[in-house]
Amino acid sequence: MQPRGKEQANFPGRPTQPFLAAPQSSTPFRSPGPVGGIEVSGPSRAISPFVSSGPMTGLGASGSPQNMSPFLSSGPAIGTQPSSYRAPPPSMRSNGPSSPPTSSFSAQDASIYQQSQALGFPPAPMHPPPPIGQPHMPPSGNFRPQSQIPLVPMGPPPQGSSQLTSMSNMPPPSGSVFSAPRTPPQPLLQGYSNVPQRANVPPFQPDSQFQASRPVPQPLMQVYPAAHVPPIHTSQYHAHQSLVPPPPPVGGPMGFNSREQLQHPLTGPPIGGVQGLVEEFQSLTVGSVPGALDPGVDAKSLPRPLNGDEEPIKLLEMYPFNCHPRFMRLTTHAIPNSQSLLSRWHLPLGAVVHPLAEAPDGEEVPIVNFGPAGIIRCRRCRTYVNPYVTFTDAGRKWRCNLCSLLNDVPGEYYCALDATGRRCDLDQRPELSKGSVEFVASTEYMVRPPMPPLYFFLIDVSVSAVCSGLLEIVAKTIKSCLDDLPGFPRTQIGFITFDSTLHFHNLKSSLTQPQMLVVADLDDVFLPLPDDLLVNLSDSRHVVDAFLDSLPSMFQGTSNVESAFGPALKAAFMVMSQLGGKLLIFQSTLPSLGVGRLRLRGDDLRMYGTDKEHTLRLPEDPFYKQMAAEFTKNQIAVDIYAFSEKYSDIASLGSLAKYTGGQVYHHPSFQTAVHQEKLRYELARNLTRETAWEAVMRIRCGKGVRFTTYHGHFMLRSTDLLALPAVDCDKAFAMQLSLEETLMTTQTVYFQVALLYTSSSGERRIRVHTTAAPVVADLSEMYRQADTGAIVSLLGRLAIENSLSQKLEDARQSLQLKLVKSLKEYRNLYVVQHRLGGRLIFPESLKFLPLYVLSLFKSVALRGGYADSPLDERCAAGYNMMILPISRMLKLIYPGLFRIDENLLKDLKEGQEPLRQLPLSAQSLDPKGVYVLDDGFNFIIWLGRMLSSDLLNNIVGVELASFPDLSRVVVCEHDNEISKRLMRVLKELRAKDPSSYQSCRLWLCRLDSSSIQAITRLVKMVTTTVIVPFFYLAMLASASSNSCLQHME
Amino acid sequence: MAWELLLWLLAFAAVIALIGFSAYQLICLSDLEFDYINPYDSSSRINAVVIPEFVVQGILCILFLLTWHWFPFLIMAPITYYHIKLYMKGKHLIDVTEIFRLLNGEKKYRVIKLAFYCSIFIVVIYRLVTTAVLLLIEEDDQALESGIF
Repeated sequence: MQPRGKEQANFPGRPTQPFLAAPQSSTPFRSPGPVGGIEVSGPSRAISPFVSSGPMTGLGASGSPQNMSPFLSSGPAIGTQPSSYRAPPPSMRSNGPSSPPTSSFSAQDASIYQQSQALGFPPAPMHPPPPIGQPHMPPSGNFRPQSQIPLVPMGPPPQGSSQLTSMSNMPPPSGSVFSAPRTPPQPLLQGYSNVPQRANVPPFQPDSQFQASRPVPQPLMQVYPAAHVPPIHTSQYHAHQSLVPPPPPVGGPMGFNSREQLQHPLTGPPIGGVQGLVEEFQSLTVGSVPGALDPGVDAKSLPRPLNGDEEPIKLLEMYPFNCHPRFMRLTTHAIPNSQSLLSRWHLPLGAVVHPLAEAPDGEEVPIVNFGPAGIIRCRRCRTYVNPYVTFTDAGRKWRCNLCSLLNDVPGEYYCALDATGRRCDLDQRPELSKGSVEFVASTEYMVRPPMPPLYFFLIDVSVSAVCSGLLEIVAKTIKSCLDDLPGFPRTQIGFITFDSTLHFHNLKSSLTQPQMLVVADLDDVFLPLPDDLLVNLSDSRHVVDAFLDSLPSMFQGTSNVESAFGPALKAAFMVMSQLGGKLLIFQSTLPSLGVGRLRLRGDDLRMYGTDKEHTLRLPEDPFYKQMAAEFTKNQIAVDIYAFSEKYSDIASLGSLAKYTGGQVYHHPSFQTAVHQEKLRYELARNLTRETAWEAVMRIRCGKGVRFTTYHGHFMLRSTDLLALPAVDCDKAFAMQLSLEETLMTTQTVYFQVALLYTSSSGERRIRVHTTAAPVVADLSEMYRQADTGAIVSLLGRLAIENSLSQKLEDARQSLQLKLVKSLKEYRNLYVVQHRLGGRLIFPESLKFLPLYVLSLFKSVALRGGYADSPLDERCAAGYNMMILPISRMLKLIYPGLFRIDENLLKDLKEGQEPLRQLPLSAQSLDPKGVYVLDDGFNFIIWLGRMLSSDLLNNIVGVELASFPDLSRVVVCEHDNEISKRLMRVLKELRAKDPSSYQSCRLWLCRLDSSSIQAITRLVKMVTTTVIVPFFYLAMLASASSNSCLQHME
Repeated sequence: MAWELLLWLLAFAAVIALIGFSAYQLICLSDLEFDYINPYDSSSRINAVVIPEFVVQGILCILFLLTWHWFPFLIMAPITYYHIKLYMKGKHLIDVTEIFRLLNGEKKYRVIKLAFYCSIFIVVIYRLVTTAVLLLIEEDDQALESGIF
């Protein structure tokens, strides 16, 4: 449909009737879906799922306005047979009127309409009318000459062109020129409709820019706010519009209206023409001297994501059969139709998949059991049956939506079709009405009997682990979780402890006390017992309990500082290799003995800034990668808990988790008092959350696109198969798309994520998420459908991966380049039409992108250089960011800041208004306030310097004056009302996200120096800087200056 | 002269072995690409022949040096140097965890090496044939001489 909309948009020179006719003809278009007979609607469904989707959403024959556009999109396809789908346009046109009996009127109408076009315009035949994507090529040739025309007949007095010439000829003389566009909105609209044919934009752009901005940049700045913009420059465009008298009610708005709908047939509810347009983008005026803080810029007006992550739920209204965005999000819900278009989209094109995301109650993924019939899948591409498949031949065949192969419907699955071509049993079949389903897999999906949940613990018992109290906490936590381990009664469990020797523990159920077997031969590790090192939990429960009780005391008073980590790893592998499972490693020193010993390569300052910098962040010893590969091969996932206060080479240890689908938990300089709650919570969650075992994940997509790179913690088993020994609800995966064909001919691309796994209950299951996304031909549509969260998530992962092969500086640079390029490209789309002089414009959908990218720069993993974060923390943060789901990632890089002193002083009852998130800026911090900064992993409680000492003492619990070192203060409940309220607030915040537990640190700003200084000190503690606005502004300024090619001074 | 022939025969065998090793590695990689074998098998198969290849190549290079064959030695020397460098850095083996990301690069590297070995192969065959022919002619000459006198 896209092409047709364009076509119309590009013949504005014609008399207005066709324009008016367009909406008329569109109305009958809607009817064929529900009304048409089988022979009409059947085939048409085969072509375009939109038609079939229509009736199922419960729309009557009349079609409600919301669905106008989806229907329109399939409009042309309705009148054609599947066979003629690929046929040359002429035959299509002749087909139209003849084949559909009931809808002949509409089809005729359309065809006549198109013919009239053809008559009126010689070039028209070159555009094959309907859905085939070809038209984009020929038009690009034709548009050039014609694209000038729209400005003339539509816009009242030829503002547009005169404007341009005037701008290019002389520096803006006065406000008159700039205020001119204010009067009629037409030029604006007109310009907008031109967007797809960007061909004519760039030639003007530099010209006008150059002329306008260089000689007199200042007037530009002044005139704009005066003429258009209310003091707050970030206002949406439509704020400007409100100053504007309504458009004259001539053919113009009508035509525009119809065009608006036609041009973006897939964008959803037809928005009122003008309304829809003016919300197109936001703009921001930035000072002419980048970097300097322009007094005209109000930092408060910068867009800030105060609501955290916003899932694009609206898409579900347009595509009700898509899986919920919590499971899968595309970076833009509009797939470019050509390589050239993709090359202008400088942001990554891809998806972030979170296959096991926790769904709120009532929205659980339905489980479907096909029984002996087997799961219905496409013969050729192995796609699982999903709501987008179409049934034909009276229900005996179904067409795969990914590869459009016609498959037979098995006898057991057969169901008759009703008059509209839907299956009669649609409501009873979740797999045909829901985007996410879980199939119960039969034995053919197993290579071995489903494995039991298996937890194996590898615990460092050297002196640092014992002294810090770590061992005790770990033992107690494990013991408290034994009842909740999933998969009772099949769960298996085992332990190895190690220092300079390996200690195996015989947990045989017939024993009353566990036996410890010590192996000192580190070069040739062997198992002292063939079995009983790994036991069934329910059988040996008493032995395990006894073991965990005695574990802390067993190594009391040890003085062993060595750590034979490598041999212990090998031993654990030998124990687990038969079954697979989850290996939890508690490591508190640097591995120092046996194979895989690591040296203290430390944080060498001299390495930074050189070409060798990245090697610090790579595993040093290939042993770890080899072990990781072996682990994955044997379905073992590794989670690392690292506690060392000194350097412990997380880069090497973490690679074990990286390739096995595991996770790195880093608690640097573990202190029992401060960190025990966090460790306890995280370990308990790790042990008790629902885990999918021995999983593989594959994502299939329709013809023309292909997933090329994958980012996250997994191991690739073949080019597109991710091996995940264990996966759970806290892990997300990102992947990038590439186009295989230069020009896509389909209208919609489908993606299907399939995760085959063994549930803890021992059932083999396949979780399938299906998503459809439209193929579009113009860039503005891609921008409109962009999803900031997914883009940031993918960009972050890419930057982390870059930091493993490049300098940090380069990784940041390439990230920034992507951002600047994309903003520039967007600017090129609009700047001429809107004469946006020195202002930065950005799409509504991406308004937070610059801020998030900046926050990425400031994140622990990517910020600064040597001194800004310790190497271990940097690596751990990097590993962490590779698995975080979108919302937690955004929260980590842009933490929530809440002011809580009112909650502390007043007795607010539960369930009152929630805390309001504040922008992360120096202005939000009031020295008289108490703030909580929550990044999802840690809380930082910021105590203002003018806070009453009474309040302070109550929070801290002791006399503050006698307690100089705040970092050692534990935030816990004290016997006073304020402290209790504080704990309640923190509890509320923690409850928002069950996947992690924030440990608490106090930060007292009691310096008498300026608050900025205090804040910069805070920056070193906080993951993200609080003085973001300054950087943010500078960066926006640089983006804008780059993008409008202004002179840099 | 017979020694010369022996050297070239040896070189011939060695170069054929090198070509074989390279081709085998390439086949493993493309099998992996088309999902005929899994990355573990593929990388272990490739890694199994990497060291033999380096050794054969090194021996051949030294042999040329010792027998004072400058031209073939100079052709072989850079690749030997490259192999030694790889080995020193510990990068000569394929990393199974990253194999898919490195696939294209590794393939290109091996194709280039294969082409290189093939060009050496041509040189070796040429020298082998000329040596053999010269030897035969000499023998003939000797036979002729001895026949006459």
